[in-house]
Amino acid sequence: MAREYKIALAGEGGQGVQSVASIIVEAANDKGREALYIPNFGVEQRGGVSIAFIQIADEKIGSPKFKIADIVVALSDRSVRRTAQYVDHRTTFVYDASIKGVEDDLPKNAAKIYAIPAIEVAKTELHPRVFNIIIMGAVIEATKVIDIDSAKEAIEKKLGYKFEQDPKLRELNFKALERGVELVRQVTN
Amino acid sequence: MADKPVKGEKRFFVTGNEVVAWAALAANAEIMYGYPITPQNEVMHYWTRLAPKYGRRFLQTEDEISAGFTTVGGVLSGARAFTATAGPGNTLMQESMSMAEMMQIPTVVVVQQRGGPSTGTVIYSQQEVTMTCFGGNGEGFRVVYSTGSHQELYDYVIKAFNTAWKYRIPTFVLGDGYQAKMRESLIMYDPEERGIQMVPTEKIVGASGVPGVDREPKHLRNTYNTEEELYKVVGDLAKHYWQVAPEIEEYEEFDCADAETVIVAHGVVTRAAQGAVKELREQGKKVGHFRPITLRPFPKKAMEKAIQKAKEILVVESAEGQLAKIVKAEIYGSDIPITGYFRPGMGITAEEIVEYILNKG
Repeated sequence: MAREYKIALAGEGGQGVQSVASIIVEAANDKGREALYIPNFGVEQRGGVSIAFIQIADEKIGSPKFKIADIVVALSDRSVRRTAQYVDHRTTFVYDASIKGVEDDLPKNAAKIYAIPAIEVAKTELHPRVFNIIIMGAVIEATKVIDIDSAKEAIEKKLGYKFEQDPKLRELNFKALERGVELVRQVTN
Repeated sequence: MADKPVKGEKRFFVTGNEVVAWAALAANAEIMYGYPITPQNEVMHYWTRLAPKYGRRFLQTEDEISAGFTTVGGVLSGARAFTATAGPGNTLMQESMSMAEMMQIPTVVVVQQRGGPSTGTVIYSQQEVTMTCFGGNGEGFRVVYSTGSHQELYDYVIKAFNTAWKYRIPTFVLGDGYQAKMRESLIMYDPEERGIQMVPTEKIVGASGVPGVDREPKHLRNTYNTEEELYKVVGDLAKHYWQVAPEIEEYEEFDCADAETVIVAHGVVTRAAQGAVKELREQGKKVGHFRPITLRPFPKKAMEKAIQKAKEILVVESAEGQLAKIVKAEIYGSDIPITGYFRPGMGITAEEIVEYILNKG
């Protein structure tokens, strides 16, 4: 928990990487840790790859962007290609198992490469709407930047008003978070 | 009217643009004039959401030329007024800010630098240094605070109003797209509770009393008929500016006392420079960092002291030498070689500064 973590989350517009990023950093901030989050916000964000740059540490954080991430999560073929630049021999690279045709584009220099079936699980077991919460679970399991209870509190804070109207949504989101954690555990153990 | 916008001290985790809006509220700014431009838009966005709750006002103008001049007008009427802009918008505001210099109008402008020249990018740069310090047909009689964190955005937006109104000098808070868009923690506070008194404003046009009877008549001009008249006026402006400059200058230095290499950087890049110094010191290298907070007036004396042991000065900036140009002019006469690590429109990390210094030997 003590070390500093640099995370790059990349996906297509609509996959929800920015909202996941903001829930994670808010959870870390609520726990009194230092967090810094900056989205890429060029004009390309309309119809391009959306990247969230996250840093979490115990002390004040340096530059807002970074060259090399500790963990990269890429959720589309273009994202895989786009984020290879943030990878070196220390980086854990996570991508969705359903992405086709990127075998040759995976960063060969990464410390570890994991494919997780998040899109598949969202579609068949849960609901496509909670895909990004599965990813959130995967990120917190891979980095341990926050524990699962803090993650649940943060989700409650963000979506609590929706859960009031439909308590099943709470269950669905928490289940998605737990499934995300499991998906990473399965590939890392 | 509603309560104070910020009470006590409270930790926030928000974007820099939101910080600017809160800071202006906390400083009792009465009105913002503005025209949208990325990456500054959310200053307006938050201000327009928050201002009505606290009895403050907003006017959206048809462009930045107008936003600059309406800010000037608002200040002339005695309002603590401000605007915010970026890039090409900053360009268009130079005419009105030149007028503010001439007539000693205490405007406050927040600039969130984006890539240039021209439309460039909407993202980030430090390419508005020359323009913000010296833009317009004037002499650069301005105060420019270059911030590097959300805490500083909050602190210096509040301070900018006081500097402007105390010295009657147009004042700029120079941020950038990263600071505008990123989220990080800061402490917001009520300035009064920290002992910061807001400098009172007054009507510059339409003051009470009969001119010539109850008070000195004001003759507000930006047009003069003879060379001699103008020469006298600009001379007085210069005298005032250089007289108060030492009170305004601000800087930070890190490990400069015995540093053989001094990194000079401003704004958000100071974070990378501080990180680089820490790393290089751990490797036993005598490296320090000098950071001007006021780019104008420049803390010349402090810099001269910081480079006493230096064998080289490395200017690091997200521009093609705009800070370097100022540094060279300010320390003219020093024989310490000055080189630059220039990355116009690109972010700079501690790692790359370390690598650059180690590789160049």
